[in-house]
Order: sequence, then C-alpha cells, then structure tokens
Amino acid sequence: MNDIIKLLKAASSVDAWRITEKATESYELFFVHRDLETVRATDTAETHVTVYSDHDGRRGDSTFDVYRSMSEADIAAKIENAAARAKLVDNEPYELPGAETLCESLPTNMADADPKKLAADIADAVYAADDQPGGSINALEIFLYRDTVRVMNSNGVDKTQVTHRVMIEAIPTFTDENESVELYEDHRFTTFDPAKVTAEIAEKMREVRDRHEAKKPKTPMKINVVLRPKEIQTLLGDLARDLNYSIAYSHANLHEIGDDLQKDCRGDRITLTMRGVVEGSERSAFFDEDGLKLTDTCIIKDGKAATRYGGSRFGQYLGIEKPSGNLRCCEVAPGTLSESELKSAPYLECASMSGLQVDLYNDYVGGEIRLAYYYDGEKTVPVTGITMSGRLSAVLAGLRLSDKTEVSGPHLGPVKLLMPDMDIL
Amino acid sequence: MAFSGYLDGKRRDCAELVAELRKRFPYVSILGTDVRAAAYRADRMSSAAQDASGECGFVVKMHDGRSFFEYSLDDISGDKKELADRIASAVETDPRLKGRMISAEVLKDEPMKEDFVRETDFDRFDDAQLLGICRELSAELCAADGKVRNAMCAIQPYVVSKLFVSENRELSQFYGWANGFLIVFYQDGKMVAARHVEGSDSLEKIISSLRGSTEKVVDLARHLVTAKPIEPGVYDIITDSSITGLIAHEAFGHGVEMDQFVKDRALGKNCMGQYVASPITNMHDGAAATHSVASYFFDDDGVLAHDTQIIKDGILVAGLSDRDSAAQLGTDPTGNGRRDSYRRKAYSRMTNTFFCPGTDKLEDMIASVKHGYMLFETNNGMEDPKNWQIQCTAEYGIEIVDGKLTDNYVSPVVMSGYVPDLLKSISMISDRFEVIGSGMCGKGYKEWVRVSDGGPNLKARVKLG
Repeated sequence: MNDIIKLLKAASSVDAWRITEKATESYELFFVHRDLETVRATDTAETHVTVYSDHDGRRGDSTFDVYRSMSEADIAAKIENAAARAKLVDNEPYELPGAETLCESLPTNMADADPKKLAADIADAVYAADDQPGGSINALEIFLYRDTVRVMNSNGVDKTQVTHRVMIEAIPTFTDENESVELYEDHRFTTFDPAKVTAEIAEKMREVRDRHEAKKPKTPMKINVVLRPKEIQTLLGDLARDLNYSIAYSHANLHEIGDDLQKDCRGDRITLTMRGVVEGSERSAFFDEDGLKLTDTCIIKDGKAATRYGGSRFGQYLGIEKPSGNLRCCEVAPGTLSESELKSAPYLECASMSGLQVDLYNDYVGGEIRLAYYYDGEKTVPVTGITMSGRLSAVLAGLRLSDKTEVSGPHLGPVKLLMPDMDIL
Repeated sequence: MAFSGYLDGKRRDCAELVAELRKRFPYVSILGTDVRAAAYRADRMSSAAQDASGECGFVVKMHDGRSFFEYSLDDISGDKKELADRIASAVETDPRLKGRMISAEVLKDEPMKEDFVRETDFDRFDDAQLLGICRELSAELCAADGKVRNAMCAIQPYVVSKLFVSENRELSQFYGWANGFLIVFYQDGKMVAARHVEGSDSLEKIISSLRGSTEKVVDLARHLVTAKPIEPGVYDIITDSSITGLIAHEAFGHGVEMDQFVKDRALGKNCMGQYVASPITNMHDGAAATHSVASYFFDDDGVLAHDTQIIKDGILVAGLSDRDSAAQLGTDPTGNGRRDSYRRKAYSRMTNTFFCPGTDKLEDMIASVKHGYMLFETNNGMEDPKNWQIQCTAEYGIEIVDGKLTDNYVSPVVMSGYVPDLLKSISMISDRFEVIGSGMCGKGYKEWVRVSDGGPNLKARVKLG
C-alpha cells in the first residue's frame, strides 16, 4: 500500500485519493453426503484505488483495481488513466472523511483457532444433527474466512478492521421409498457455538421431514401469514433501503422524511435502527468503504420515516451535517405479539420460501412457499405447493411483530412478523 | 485489445508450478484469469467512468488419486518448490477427516495446445465517447416527459483473458462482452422504474440499440404507472423471450446441473430418458450453443465449450457437468465448469440456455388465448431442482382478452408451480428466437456467473400471483 501512496502523492493530476484493501484468507470444505469431496484454501487480496480530480467547481472521481502482480509502472499508468477519467466526471463537490485512525477486530471466539481443526469441528457439529431415520445431509459446504479491511485516504484516514466469519451451506434431506425432499440452509456466524449449530441444523432436519409430510391445502384462502427472520429482513430491508441518502439523491425514493409508512395502522408500529455492529452478525463493521465511522441511526420511528442514512458523499449532497456511514446491520424493536395471542386465530407460518418478493413501487408482497405450518385454531399441519400475495400497504398497516427478538444475519429483531389477510393460491 | 500480456508472461511459471506439484499429486492444473471491466454511467445528477468488478489471479487444482484440492492466490512468481510446499500445506485436512475423503478417478489430461481469440470493437471507443453517450441518452430520457424523475444510462464492457495449464494442456482464450442499460424512474401518482437492457460483443450495436430504445422505455414507464396487481389465479400465458429463458433457466437448467446429481439433489437424475415436457419442446445449453454472454471457448476446468441438448422432443436426454462431477458420475464433462472468480470453486453451471423455436406465429398464439396474460422481462427467479418447484418473477404482464392484447398492464407478476406441470402445459411455440445476454445467475445464494437465456414465445398455463 505504501508504494501506491507514494505514486498517488507524486501524481500532479490527483487532488485526493482513497485506497480500500480487503485481504481474505479462507479454508473451505465441500462434502457430498458425509464424504469430503474438495478441500480449498485461498490467500487473496482486492485493492481498489479511487482518485479525485477537482475541476470547474466540480469533483470527478474514478476507481481502479490494483493487483498484487502489478509493477510500479503498471500502477503509475493506472493512476494516470484514472485521473484522466476523473476529469471527465463532473459531480457536485464533496469532502472525503477527515483524519481518523483505528485498528480493531470484531468480536469472535475463532481468532486463534486452527482453521483445519475448526472446520472439522463445525462439520462434526452439523453432522451431529443427522441422526433421524430417513434424514440425511446431502451436501455441506463450510467456509471459514478471515477478512482484513483497510481504508486510507489523502485526508489522513487509516482504519483497519479484522472479521472472522463462517458460512455454512447445508442441504437437509428426507427420503423414503417414494420420494426425497430437501431444504436449503444458509447459516452464518462470527462466534462458534457447536451446540447452537447442531440445534440449527436439527431444526431444519425436522422441517425437511415435515416438508415430506406436507400436503397442498385447500385453496384459494385468505389467512394471516407469519414470516420468520430471513423474510422479515427482506421486507424491512427494502423499506430501509428506500431511506438511503443515495436513493433520495437520485430521486428513486418513494418516501420522504415524516411520511407515515404504516397509514391507518392497526397493528404494531415499526421502529428500525440501522446499526454498525450487531453482535454475531458477519456484516458488522466499525467503518464503511470511505473509512467513515458508522453511527447507529434510527430511520423509522413508530412507523414514520424519521431520517435517512448512508455514506459521506451522498449525505453531504443532502446537507446532512454528520452522515451516518453506510450501515449494513439493523435492529427492529420488538412488538406486542405473544405466542398465546398468535394462537388465538388460524395462521400460516412460512418456514421456507423460494424468496419473498417485495415491490415498494407496485405495492406488492408475495412469493412461493415451499414449506409452511398451517394452524387451524386447534392443530398445526405442514403444507406446501402454495403461493401467497398481498398489498404491501395493507401488510404495513396491519402487521404484528413478536415480543421476542433474536439475531439473524444482519438483523436483530422480532422472531415473527404477522401479515394479515394474505391471499393464498 | 488482446490476450493479457501479464498472463502471457506467466505461462512458464504455471508450467513450473504444475511440474513441482505433480511430484505430489497425480493431477494438477492451473487456471489464470485476468478480467478487465469498465463502467460508464450518467443520470440527471451524477456520472461515473471507472473500472468495474474485475479479477486477476490463479487457482491451482489438484487431485491426489481420491479427492480434489484447490488453492487460490494472486501471484505465482517466486520459488516454485516453496510455493508448492505452501499450497500442499494449506489444503491439508484435520486427521479426523482423512478417512472420509471421496474416491473419484484421477482427471484425464488429454494433450492440447491452442490460443482462442474473439475480437471486439471496444478499442474503437474511448472513455470520453462512452461517457458522452451515457450523458446524451440520460438527458434525452429526462427531457422526454415531465414525469421522469430521473433516468440512467450505463454501458459496461469487459474483456476476459484466461490461461489454462496442466502437464499436457495449454489453452488460452480472449473475448469480450458488454451490456447497456436504460432505466427511467417515472412518477405519475405512483412511482415506477422502466428498464431496457442490451448485451453484445459489439459496442456499436449496443449504442445503436440504446439510442433506438429511449422512446420505448419512456412509453413503457407511462404504461407501468397504470399497472394493477394481478388477480391471483391460473391463467393461459404467452411469454416473451426473456420469460421463456427464465423458465428454461429456473425450471430445468438448474435441475440438470450434474454436481446436483452427485449430491442426489436433483430429480432430473432419475428422469433421464423420460418425458419431462410437452413433446414439442426442445432445449439446449452450451457455451458453443449460440453466441452470447457465456460463449467462451473452454470452461474453468479447461474443457472445450459444448452445445448440449438437454430436452429432445419433450424427453430429458442430457445434463450439464463440470470435470469433478463428471469424474464422480463416470461421464464426459460438458464444458460447464464455471467459477464466480479465481477465488471460488468451479461448479456445474449453465451458460447460454434456451428453448428452440417452433412453428407457430406469435399473433396466432395471442389469438388463441380467451383470457390470459403476455408476460415480459425477467425480474428474478428461484430454482428448486430436488422438488421441482419454480418461482419466476416478470416485471410486467399485459392482459389478453378474446385473443387480443389490451392496454391493461399488471405488475409485478410472480409465476409459480410444479415444473413438469408447467413444461407439459406448453401448447404452442413461436418461430421467433432471441437469447438475452445480460443475466447473472447464482447457485443457491452465491457463486455468481454471467449467463444468457431465451428462446421463442411459449404458450403455457401457469399459476400467477
């Protein structure tokens, strides 16, 4: 990085610069059924350099990649080319974040672990859940990553953060003489707890057995539908994205500050805070791609758009004095829906979907359901082969949030979200 | 533009590292990649001209007589024995796993030495021209209608250099592709985003198409603001080529990726030789099957590009494989081993996937629908090859009443159901044919590769919601 900085400082056509480097070491195992098919390791780095050129009262920028294999002459040529490109670009002026230094690791219990042993421990934890007749894990991929991200700029930013993260992709399967069905499990964590991994996979093993038993219910029907954290993230994440500075600056936003996102609300009001760090989430960070310190920001308060969030440049364009930084995690306040209240009326709880489709512009929410649990007021049965759809505005007006929360991916929030009166086909 | 000078200079390093690692592994190959991409973009407020996501590095693949090992790194310069020691050490396993390795045949290493080149016209355009065109078209779109809130034009060319070296094989390839986009954010009561996408290895063609499409995309936006939600139900549909391609891709493409056969993750494994679609249906995939975004000369395993017929007259006849899967299944690889980048593993992946044209006229197909929808433009899709469920989302549909397209737009349209039901319901296939080369495909929720898909118009009966 020092060589690049020396060249950038020597380039007269460069008014400012930023360097982002992400070095990743990984150790990866790929299982077919219970046998190990492939072992992989990686030691790679991505370096992106942005040069800024101020001209005619405007600011241009251009980013290029630097590879470890590049010579000094190669990099000098890339700087010259990027500076020429930056002169073609004429955006509103903005300042880079000011001098700050940091060198920190995100919380983990895996920093000192031998990756080969840790990967085998994780495999053991996953396969410990594979103990039911008819059940199997037909594929398992384990990825252990150590990311070191460093951002420097010409204003004196020099920040480094280290993240240890694991991603597991497992395929729980249930087979009998007539049929074989599967579910997809994508589990990510930054702190390894073998019992938690086994419990997570065991839950999916139970669900895949249920998918095998599941029948298509009588349709069409109108019923309350319950989402779990993965789909809750999709739904609320799309609402949050609409409040990013860059979306507002480009006039692609649907909502203005102060707008009631839950007009005619008769359910739980949403309070959503974008956060830098959510303990346990691999998306946690102390700073964004500009090196800007991340500041937790409540963007939806009691169902109303309270403020926006985002990076330094677009924040400045909108006149934000202290931009929040590009926050990637969020916290949603719990609601009032208890298990006992949930059980007071029939509902359909989605355990596995192809992917929740949310369309803010067209006021739509829906998707294909691979496995759901239908509670008819007395008993619960697994169902499959159905599709749900509804109006997003109606969902927002009537939604209920559970009173219990948990961390799932980048999201700390209610474990259940109830959408009233969805159409099921 | 030409094959990467950097990779060209690494041929000897690759051969030396292969030779060093061959002392420990019966099979060793190295894939070197140098992908250079650029992005030009302008909208009402801002512009950009910069490198887009590229890559430059190496992945070493080894087979020890039983299993597979890979190591990805940025450079292979320096002492080869030291590097080989580092690689061999990095891919060791915990002693608990040593008895659990699979047993697959050592990969064949058939001799071949060839350099493949497909020229582009990218050198004819410089940064100023491409950014200027983006600005011109963005401004034209913004000025087209007072209800346009913003409009973006983007052009994204990239060139691919890949070098494959094993003991007996040395292949190189160089080709390019570019995508162009127009997006209009339009507000008339409700807000919509209307898109036009182009893909080609000729920037001249892309620019010409973008220039000729500005009016069309604004007109689409005007219609989309009138779009209503669809009444959920089962309908006759006519697909445009984009939706035909989405069905091909999601319904059957993923289901015949043969690494899924190895894992018993695809129902297709048990259906070879059986009717899985209407007898008028034929479907292909392959880097050599047509000319589009995934038309490479050899795959990331060093296997030459194929044209694979997947469905013949409604019968499932073949799948798509990478080398590792083929070795485990005892079949020949089909040139479908693809990586997200040199940092990632190769899997069996689709390339250019499409249904073959039929003999029906589109106007006759529309005329045959009493009440249904014509569906346009892929939004996204999701596969479920084990259980053959499908979800495909179209950007919009136009209602057909008594055999005529109306002015009634619906958006979005989510199509779902059981794959064989959908494919067996295909009753008419048009004589038109288009493959759209602007897609990205993930495996599960990762491993993104560029793909194309398409085909003729189809008439089918599906569940829409």
